[in-house]
Amino acid sequence: MTAAIPMIALVGNPNAGKSSLFNALTGARQKIANYPGVTVERKAGHASFADGRPMSLVDLPGSYSLTPASPDEAVTRDVVLGQQAGERRPDALIVVVDAANLDNHLCFALELIALGLPTVVALNMLDLAERDGLTLDPAIVSRELGVPVVPTVAVRKRGLTDLLAAVDGAILSHQTQATAQSAPPPSDVALHQRARAIARAATLSEAPVRRWTQRVDAVLLHPALGFLILLGLMFVMFQGVYAWSEAPIGWIEGGIAALQGAVDAALPDGFLRGLIIEGILGGVGSVIVFLPQILILFLFILLLEASGYMTRAAFLMDGVMAKVGLSGRGFIPLLSSFACAVPGIMATRAIPDAKDRLTTILIAPLMTCSARLPVYTLIIGAFIPNTTVGGSPVGLQGLVLFGLYLSGIVGALVVALVLRRTVAKGNAAGFMMEMPRYQWPRLRDVAIALWQRTWIFLRRAGTIIFVTTIALWLLLSYPKVPTGSAESQVDYSVAGRIASGLEVVVAPIGFNHDIALALIPAMAAREVAVSALATANAIEAGDDEEAMAQSLSERLQGRWSIATALAFLAWFVFAPQCISTIAITKRETNGWKWPLFMVGYLFALAYAAAGITYWTAVAFGLG
Amino acid sequence: MNPKLDSAKLGVAVRISRIDWDQMSHDEGRRLREFGLMEGIEVTPLHRGSLFSRDPLALAIGRMQVIIRARQAAMIEVAPTAP
Repeated sequence: MTAAIPMIALVGNPNAGKSSLFNALTGARQKIANYPGVTVERKAGHASFADGRPMSLVDLPGSYSLTPASPDEAVTRDVVLGQQAGERRPDALIVVVDAANLDNHLCFALELIALGLPTVVALNMLDLAERDGLTLDPAIVSRELGVPVVPTVAVRKRGLTDLLAAVDGAILSHQTQATAQSAPPPSDVALHQRARAIARAATLSEAPVRRWTQRVDAVLLHPALGFLILLGLMFVMFQGVYAWSEAPIGWIEGGIAALQGAVDAALPDGFLRGLIIEGILGGVGSVIVFLPQILILFLFILLLEASGYMTRAAFLMDGVMAKVGLSGRGFIPLLSSFACAVPGIMATRAIPDAKDRLTTILIAPLMTCSARLPVYTLIIGAFIPNTTVGGSPVGLQGLVLFGLYLSGIVGALVVALVLRRTVAKGNAAGFMMEMPRYQWPRLRDVAIALWQRTWIFLRRAGTIIFVTTIALWLLLSYPKVPTGSAESQVDYSVAGRIASGLEVVVAPIGFNHDIALALIPAMAAREVAVSALATANAIEAGDDEEAMAQSLSERLQGRWSIATALAFLAWFVFAPQCISTIAITKRETNGWKWPLFMVGYLFALAYAAAGITYWTAVAFGLG
Repeated sequence: MNPKLDSAKLGVAVRISRIDWDQMSHDEGRRLREFGLMEGIEVTPLHRGSLFSRDPLALAIGRMQVIIRARQAAMIEVAPTAP
């Protein structure tokens, strides 16, 4: 053993309360990175022994055995065997087991103990087991397993000191005794029999399984009622995402405008002022305004996950998703994609079947993410009359927005059906999942997870949009139009000239020069289309006071036909205009093949959808 | 022809008498065993599908609940539990 800080790995079954224990041991000081070459997250943190010596802790992905069924589980195996690149073999293992589910969790524990590393078993969630009428004797478990067993209640920080002391002791005693355990690994059936025998021996008394969970499930998993409740929850979630975010979005916009004003006053007119105000503040601002919506959506999703409901939602949706060759597991990533496809695609890691996962990644961008909303809102506001439909209280504008969401969902289902029969052909997706118990979400665990998700999103989206907005600003501003020229700055700039080239391609589907110009920077992020339209219009309006006084939507009404506007909306249902999504797809599929495929098929669909919309609208006299 | 788990009555415990391991993939079989689904074990089917489908099936095994597809349940023969 080296003098380096001891490295201790937390390992255990899914739903054993491993992450709560990790949070309780390390606090919020955690580092999330990726294992090299794979897309599995490495969660690491620090803690210290009672005498102050530091240790480093890693939280390994939950797993059922050392035979992996997914990339996550493969990392767990490789780390504990010392075969994972970028990670040294742990000096000790903390095996986390759910006290109420020893029958099952002791199997993996037995496998891990047989590895011969210093090992301590954390008998976790002992309070929940006792609440369920289960009395256990940790001493018997310890005697049968041959390793220290420490009862813990991670969420109440009970047993943590004893746990770390036991780890310290295990490492010390391990150094003094040679380990030679190379018996052939027992079969999984034998492991289970052994686990059940130990669980039986350690169980002092057992009340029948509590009924209340089953009563709740009788409602929440009811074939009809459960479905209605799920739809109701999703409705509340989307209402919350849009309604509760209005005020904070206003504050952020106000704050950015104030900053821009301050810079405007402080700096002389010139390159630097333009770059900071339009490029940096405008660009970064266009990302940060989505933060409230994303936070609210993540909060909902984390609460649903932590309470145990998300698996029930997956259960209810599995039947529908099976019809297009997917599984209920895909429901969670697709739901996240309504906020942003980037975390959605990251969440597909939990899908064990490779083809199932690939299909889910490829259709995730079809879920209407929050970045499309600014585009939809602008165009609907400008071109769809604010009336109700045929005397009913249903507003026409809202109906169009709903139609756009629905087009994305239906499009995704059809695409999934086609992909599963062609490029992502495979066995019918499996759906085998453990159903966790219901639990009150712990504020601390939710807060830590929310912060981690947010930070990942901000960092990724922030850097990409930051760079592209600055690039667009430069392309739109240079070369400067010569004084006295009849041409506008926009047309004269590099971006304007590229747009003129692109216009030839998109003219058949009703797109004009404005749109061609907006589409280029919108490759970075869809919402940039709105600011690009605004910037181009502002530059073109120039000193024309009458034109300056018009709002963007008024100016668009004068320049676009309804057919063009509708085609533009149809385009954005499908168009893969988000560099972050393409980048994350490349990372998650380990190569350029699938992101390029995704971009190709989505652009083809977008072109077709916009074209059909335009030609139909023109045929109805809306051109 | 013994009754299969996919058509077993909800809420009634049954004992697994035989699993057709050959019909399922290696990974499927292993995951079933990891869940503790093997010959001789008692399970209780709890919930089946939703409005649109008979899939999937939720089972209680001891203190754990797991979800499997009807296709897998059809490979599991069950018998009434011993009185």
